[in-house]
Amino acid sequence: MAVKFSREMVALAAAGLAAAAALGAAAGLATILRARQERVSHQRPEAEPWFTFRPAPSPELVDRGHGLFRGSCAHCHGLDARGDEGPDLHGLQVSDRYIANTIRRGIKGEMPSFARKHNAADISALLAYVRSLPAD
Amino acid sequence: MDGVAWAKVHGAVVHFPVALSLCSTALDAAGFALAPRPVAQELHRGGRCAMIAGTLGAAPVVVSGLMMTRGDLLGHGLLRWHHLFAWPAFGLLVALTTWRGLAGPRPSRRALGAYLGCAVLAAGLVSAAGYWGGELLIAG
Repeated sequence: MAVKFSREMVALAAAGLAAAAALGAAAGLATILRARQERVSHQRPEAEPWFTFRPAPSPELVDRGHGLFRGSCAHCHGLDARGDEGPDLHGLQVSDRYIANTIRRGIKGEMPSFARKHNAADISALLAYVRSLPAD
Repeated sequence: MDGVAWAKVHGAVVHFPVALSLCSTALDAAGFALAPRPVAQELHRGGRCAMIAGTLGAAPVVVSGLMMTRGDLLGHGLLRWHHLFAWPAFGLLVALTTWRGLAGPRPSRRALGAYLGCAVLAAGLVSAAGYWGGELLIAG
């Protein structure tokens, strides 16, 4: 028995496929761009989940991050991280991975790489401190 | 081009899909309401053209956004909120445009009503993504 599909139903199926293809293409481009970043930074950060429950970092970790910040970052970002030669770090909108990448890799002509000075635990502490800074 | 240049491109091109998708929804809603009159077909034709142009305009927005964030699909804080609305909006715009292009110039009223419902949802998602994008500018 032949099943007859209306033009509208065929268009609906094509619409679903087109949306999936467009989002897939965007995800593919994002993967290529991230892979390029990873090659530059010599690291493989884990993928970001869509929704995550992030417990607040311990005060000890934030304190440790503050200490590291004063030693490595404060001379450019200011003692209060409000910015000096470098930008204000309060209320950053970028992801944890982005911040960690920037600390490790630096920014050409603007910020040095800290990959040799700070290991993963140090960067986690710095991240905890930066995230503890209020957004206002 | 660096991230700052891509941010400028993103800011420049983002207004086209926002304006065109909202305009398309308004034209189709007007056409749907005025269905028995001859002007309704003209309104639907305008709505279809605006939706196609808006979706085509969304492609450079997506590319410039991804280049700006170096492939960051979500981000953190306000950027995450922006992306949580922007990605469904983009997918829905592509789906709506494809359906509109393939369903022919005179789809049934029932199908057009369902389309209009999805277009209103897409307009809401686009507006929310635009709102959080604006908040990012203010926060930045």
